[in-house]
This record gives sequence, C-alpha cells and structure tokens, in this order.
Amino acid sequence: MSGRVVVVGEVVDGRPTRLSTEVATLGRRLGEALGRPVVGVLVGAGAGEAGASLAAYLPEVLTVELPDLADLAPAPRVAAETAALVEPEDGPILVGASPDGRDVAGALSVLLDRPVLANAVAVEAGPEGPTAVKTIFGGKLVVRSRFVGPPGIVTVRPSSVDAAPADAPGRVVARTATAVALGPPVRRLERILETAGEVPLEEAAVVVVGGRGVGGAEGFALLEELAALLGGTVGATRAAVDAGWIGYARQIGQTGKVVKPRLYLGLGVSGAIQHKVGMQTAETIVAVNRDPDAPLAEYADLYVVGDLFEVGRALVAELRRRRDAGTT
Amino acid sequence: MVAASVPSGYELTEEQRLLRDTVRALADERIAPRAAEIDRTGEFPWDVKALLAEHDLLGLGIPAEYGGVGVDLLSVCLAIEQVSRVCATSGLIIAVQELAAAPIVLAGSDEQRRRWLPDLAAGRQLVAFALTEPEAGSDAAAVRTRAVRDGDEYVIEGTKRFITHGSIADLIVVFAVTDPEAERHRRLSAFVVERERPGFRVARLEHKMGIRGSPTAELVFDGVRIPAANRLGPEGDGFAIAMRTFERSRPGIAAQAVGIAQGALEVAAAYARTRRQFGRPIGEFQMVAALLADMDAATEAARQLLYRACTVIERGGPDAARWAAIAKLVAGDAAMRVTTDAVQVLGGYGYVDEYPVERMMRDAKITQLYEGTQQIQRLVVARALLGRE
Amino acid sequence: MRIVVLTKPVPDPASGQDRLGPDHRVDRAAAPAVLNGNDEYALEAALRLVESHGGEITLLAMAPATAPETLRKGLAMGAHRAVLVTDPALAGSDIRSTVGVLAAALAGLEFDLVLAGIDTSDGFAGVVPAALATLLGLPLLSNAAAIEPDPAAGRVRVRRIIQGGYDVLEAPLPALVSCTQALGAPRYPSLKGIMAARSKEVAVRSLADLGPTRWPVGGAAAATAVVAVDPPPARGATRTIRASAVEAAREIADFLAARRLLP
Repeated sequence: MSGRVVVVGEVVDGRPTRLSTEVATLGRRLGEALGRPVVGVLVGAGAGEAGASLAAYLPEVLTVELPDLADLAPAPRVAAETAALVEPEDGPILVGASPDGRDVAGALSVLLDRPVLANAVAVEAGPEGPTAVKTIFGGKLVVRSRFVGPPGIVTVRPSSVDAAPADAPGRVVARTATAVALGPPVRRLERILETAGEVPLEEAAVVVVGGRGVGGAEGFALLEELAALLGGTVGATRAAVDAGWIGYARQIGQTGKVVKPRLYLGLGVSGAIQHKVGMQTAETIVAVNRDPDAPLAEYADLYVVGDLFEVGRALVAELRRRRDAGTT
Repeated sequence: MVAASVPSGYELTEEQRLLRDTVRALADERIAPRAAEIDRTGEFPWDVKALLAEHDLLGLGIPAEYGGVGVDLLSVCLAIEQVSRVCATSGLIIAVQELAAAPIVLAGSDEQRRRWLPDLAAGRQLVAFALTEPEAGSDAAAVRTRAVRDGDEYVIEGTKRFITHGSIADLIVVFAVTDPEAERHRRLSAFVVERERPGFRVARLEHKMGIRGSPTAELVFDGVRIPAANRLGPEGDGFAIAMRTFERSRPGIAAQAVGIAQGALEVAAAYARTRRQFGRPIGEFQMVAALLADMDAATEAARQLLYRACTVIERGGPDAARWAAIAKLVAGDAAMRVTTDAVQVLGGYGYVDEYPVERMMRDAKITQLYEGTQQIQRLVVARALLGRE
Repeated sequence: MRIVVLTKPVPDPASGQDRLGPDHRVDRAAAPAVLNGNDEYALEAALRLVESHGGEITLLAMAPATAPETLRKGLAMGAHRAVLVTDPALAGSDIRSTVGVLAAALAGLEFDLVLAGIDTSDGFAGVVPAALATLLGLPLLSNAAAIEPDPAAGRVRVRRIIQGGYDVLEAPLPALVSCTQALGAPRYPSLKGIMAARSKEVAVRSLADLGPTRWPVGGAAAATAVVAVDPPPARGATRTIRASAVEAAREIADFLAARRLLP
C-alpha cells in the first residue's frame, strides 16, 4: 500500500476540535509506524484558519473553505469534499467519533465504497495492516480488527490519546470546493448555546457523578461544590436524568456520553452495566454509596460505604481545609 | 427458544413472556425504589396504584368486553409475581382487585357487570372482598352479618374484620346471611355495597407485622340499605360464589408468595457473591451455598406448581379447588422458609433495614394466613384426596 | 404520517451474558435479545408523532429468524406492523453490507420519516444512519432531541444536540432522523397493547424478496475481520472503607493526594 493515512478533522469556530487534534496525533504516529505519509483534511467555515492550528500535529493539512456551511448541517458536504480529496490508494481514513464525525464516516463509507471499523481507542500497525482496537460488551473484551482488502474508515473515540504536536508544524494547502453533495440540504435555522465555556464531559479530567442516591435536583449542589474543589465537571447516571434532576447533556453511560477522566468520583451511583460502559476506563474510580454490594464496588479503586451527603459534606470540608492550609 | 422435546404446555407463550418482562421492568424501575418507604410509613401507595392502573394492571382478569384485558389466570399471576418480587404491598393491590372483582365477573348479571366492571378495570375504582368476621375466620360459614330483605332493598347489619383495602375501596363485595334457617352452605348471599351508602363506616385499621402499606380494616354495616339489584346471583349462592372465587384468588396469593421468595432469593444470592469473609465470598462456603440452593429449589418448585395449577384451573374441572389449595399451600410455606433463610444468609445485615430481606420475611408470613390458612388449604386437599364432602 | 422505525434486536446488555462465538462474531443466542435501547427512544418519538399527527408506524429490522418475539414488544408499544428481513445468508454481515440491505428494504416502503437510534448497544458504531441517508439520497437530521414535522408543508424541524447546546435544523420530507434519549423515555407496553400485538403483521422478507443490494452480504463478504480477542487489563483490587463520615473524608483526600489528583 503506498497511499496516505488520512485524518478527517472537524472545524468549530475557526478551530479544530480537541478530538481532531487527538486523531491527528494518532494518525501521525500510525503513519510513522506504517512508513506512509499522513495528511489532514478540514472542510467548513473557517477551515483555513483551523488548518494552521491542526498543522501543528500533521505534516500536511488540506483545507476547503466553505463559508455557507455555517448555515447547513455540515456532514454531507464535509464528506463529499473529503471524498473528492481521497485517492484510491489512501487509507485508513481516520475520523473522530463525535456526532458529526460519525455522520461524516457513515457518508464516506458510501461515497468511497469503503468498510468501517468503529469506536477505536487505538489504531495499530498490525502484521496484516492497520488494526483498530476497541472494547465490547461493556469492557468485558478487547477486540482487534483489521480490514479485509483495502483499508477503510476508522472512527476514533474521544480521549483515546493525548494530543501531542509534532516536532515541527506541517504545511497548509488550501483546496477549492468541487463536490456536489447528494440529497437535499439540511438547513440550520439557529444555534442555541446553553453551557458554552464549560469543559465538555468527554474532555473533563475529573468528573463527579451523581446517581439515584442523590435523591433530587437539590442534591446536585453538593456535587457542584465537590467538582469545583477538585477542578472537575458534574455528570449523572441515567436514573438521575430520567428522574428529571439534571439534564441529559450530563448523562454518562450507554445512552449518554463516554468519559475517560483521570478521576471519577461517584456518589449514590450503583454502577450497573449501562453506566459502567460510559466510565470504566477512568484512571481512578472512587465511590460513595450506602449499598455495600453495588456493582460499582467490584471495580472501584476506593469504595466508601456510607451516606453520600454526610461523607460528601465532610469531604468538602476536608478539601477546603487542605486547600486553605496550602497542602496537597 | 423452545427446546424440541418439551411439550408446549410447559412453556409460557410469547405474550405471557412479554407481559412478564414488561411488568418486571415496571416493577424494577418504578416500584422497587418505593418499597422500603411504603413499609416504613405504612401509607397506601396511591402513586403505585395509579401506575398499575395506567398500565392496565388493575383490570387483567376482567373480560375485554367490560374494559379489562381479559387475560388468563396464569398471566394474572405472572403480573402479581413480578410486582411482589420488589414490593408485596404493591403486588397485593393487583391480587385484591382480581379477588374482589371475581364475584362480579363470575356471578354478576350482564347489567351488573356493565355497571361496575369498567371502572374497576380502568383502576378508577377499587374493590374489596368482605367475608371474614371477628367470629368467622377459617369457619366461613359461621358468618353472622345479616342482609334482611325489605321490599326492593336489603338492610345489612354486621361487622367484617381484616378486610384488605376495606378503608379505601369504592365497592365492597359483602357476604351476608339471607336465610339463617337454611342448610349451612346456603345461608349466605353476596352483595355489592358502595362505600357512600349511609350506615357504612370503617371502625379501625390494623397495625400489622407485614404488608404494612396495605390497609386492613374493620368495617361496620349499621343498617346499610342497598337495592336488591346489588345482590350477585340468587339468594343462597354466596358460599358457592366465595368458593369459586377462591379457586382463582388463591393462585394469586401463591403468586405473591412466589414473588416474595424470588425477591429474597435474589438479594441473598447477590450478597453471597460479594460479601467476603475469611478471604472469600461467602457463597463459596458449603453451608451458605446449600442454604441458597434449597431456597432456589423451593422457589422454583412453588413457581412451576403455581403455573401448572393456573393452567388446570383456567381449563375448568372438578379438581380446580384442590390445585388452588396445593399451590397456595406450597407457595406460602416456601415464601416463609426462603425469606427466613435469606435473613440467615445475610446474618446481622439481614436483621436491619439496610437490606430488604427483613421486610420480605415479615411480608411473607401473611401468605400462610390469609386467603385461607395453610390448615384450611390442607383440609381442602385432604377432602379431595379422600373423597369426603 | 408514515414513519418507519429501524430497530435492531441486540443481546440484552443488562444480562451480562453477552459473548462472542467461536467465529468472533457476536453470539446472538448467548443472551436474550431485546430491542436496542436507543431504538426504543426512536419508537417512542414515532408514537408521540403519530398521536399528534395521525399515521402509522412500521418497524424495520434485519435480524435472525427469532426476531419476531423481540419485535413484538415494539408492536405492543403501538407500532402498527413490522417488516423483518431475515436470511441465513445475512449472518456475519458487516456495517456496510447491513446498510445496503436496509436500503433495499426501505426502497420497498413508503414513508415520510425514517427514525433510527443514534447507535446500538452491541456495536456503538453510530454510522448506519448517515450511511443509509447517503445511499438513499435522504436528508439526515442526526442526534435529535426534538422532532417537529410539518406534513402539510412537507418539511421537518429537529433540535439537534451539539456540544454546549443545540442546533435547530430543517429539511424537506422524506427525511431520516437519528434519535437520542433526550426525546423522552419510552413507554412500557400496555397490557392491552400486548394482547393487540398478537394480531399485528410481521412481514418476513428474504434476500430474494429484496432484490439486488448495493454490496454483497454475509460473513464471507465482510470487509473487516477480527484479529484477536483478549480480556481487558486488570484494574486492581478495590479498597473498601466503612468509617465515620469525617474519617472517610480524610481517607479519600489522602488517597487522592497520593495519586496526585488534588489540585
């Protein structure tokens, strides 16, 4: 195989997303391992500006500036332009598994006639070609898969690698839009930002998560305090979201977000499988629960049997005491 | 999937499986979180009742033409079992609605069914079954409450005791003596009394060992007048109606008992998997494992017997009473044994309310007492076996 | 409104019995099959739309022949009929082949909206909706938190979840919408619904009934292959603390400090 490894990035507000920089890092290292060149692709409004940032991670970035993409759902056009830039010997094509990324990957699969390996946490240069690594069944198994035939598309989970710039920035090549998207356009009528500026859950280094034991919306105030003291973000289980105590955007688990923080602190969380799949790769897991036999007890690093409010308040006091005393 | 060699009569149908799984999910997600609180406060869970009504669970056995779902007895028992697994009080709501509506379904005229069943099926109204009296428990024929015919009405005078839902029911099915001179089993008639009738009152509520959220009341009928059109079936049919009702209601209590046993078994098994002593999960110790195995065997045996009994009773036949009695006998004893052993497995933790097994043990006891004590069930079985009447 | 809801029977994630077969494919007989969680949210959304706008819902699934029982729950919730594409030749199909089959099946149905869950609990790929929309030339409105069709005007508006908020998207009908949990918790099938489901049609289609599909199907045609399956790296033993709240708080703080997790 002589083609290029392709990294498809995502542009938001004139910058590549953090996930794009992670996938770029992964793609660059894969290219080095395979002995193949690597190229990034950025399509959208502000692609040119974003290209300069992404070039810190890749030897070459192709940009297609599409100002009118600001008023459209981007994925079909991004996929169409990307498909026009990909050559037959290129592959694998790495795409971050964000909501837009998955849409782009799906569209590319049809446009380029390529198979998909999804949800990878790593891509290795295997003996039979690029190999995607993922976990299945809630983390019970680690599966390595390759392509049969030409390498196709790999979607990469957020927080799989730490983004690391290359030794020297690469070059940015502006390309003109050529493609015609298939199907009627999907117009964007408005954008409503509610929590702009907050660290997204998937990127947080520390998450403090509340479950059924929190008992109500007011209980989450304690978690906000703890999150603030630990430098983290508040998350929730499906039980708390379904009960209406906190918004769906905070939900971690099978039908919510997947997080990979350095610290996961669960209060009143049972840790059943539907939630476990969203947080089990956290580096450190600490839990407080009245139930000594909750599922979380089996895979936490530190498990405190107790009332989450009593322990939580004591922990707030303790953390403040240490902070004020200047100790860590 | 159905194993090739198992006769299909021993498998639940696809619908029964879907019904069971739906009720299980409902119970786990919406009722289980309330169970401990219901027991602790002793308050009737109106929210659970509304939930059951919303999901058609208060009209299961009522024929579809009167607004019910019209499922078979086994399906009714599947629902009671799944809810009782997490909360015996809540499972009882379904069971009592079925029990008390049965006389209307079995013996009511078409007009009477049309009058009362739709509201019951929709759960808009609750119904209670009032047979037991302070002096007439096991000896049901010794009922003393009188219903005296006066023109177009009956006047009801007497006291009923230990009536589940008696204080909250909109309709009470009352068994009263219409002919004191008649032969023992022809003295009674069955009536429907609406709670608004003047002269009806709730005299007391019992404080019980278990099923604390279920109100158990003493009801006083002080010259309560009802139209003759409220009588179910001909005069003198009351005892027979009650007996036919028990054929269908005793399996319901057996289902409650199987559910309670299953719930306790699951808690004990989960505990044994994770509780470590002497360096190992206690489930690895033979004395604990043996206890759990016997609990599982007892529960499964009671369950399979119940399911078979339901199929036989639904088909109709002379041995329905015997099947109902055996099912209730075995299940009640299983529930008491399994819940007691569940507390044993949990040791000290089983005795405190941090775990639900102490509540389940207190709840289980009633299944050996109501709907006919275990001793009454044995009488029924012995009579059928020995051919006595 | 004519709505098709894509549903996939998956091994019940809560059962803990999911596993791979010796061929490294998901062993669909190992755990009881349930409707994919996100598909239930899609179906619930469809049910609410039909309640307000009128119309009918068809479930569409590509699944093994045992699927009708799993689909029965969707019918019990209120879907009007189901179409099951099943054929031994389909076993082991990869994502792309599956999309080809679903597209061929949809070509035989009339619809205003196709709803799908954003991903499945046995794959989490999340690419099928976009691939399907591209193949069929349908507009895709993904990650929906709210769906507002306007059948008279022939268009649909969707509130799409994005990082930090949402976009309001609009497209002409027919359209494909991928559905998130934010649409609202799926209802339990009512008991009457369970009884009614018995008489609802589950139409079975084999590969031959569909006609040509875009890509070959089945395991032999799969363009991806499993190379290795391993257990995950071990986490390490759990340390359990039962102590007073103050004592426990101190232990937690010490633990975090030792791992350099305190700011």
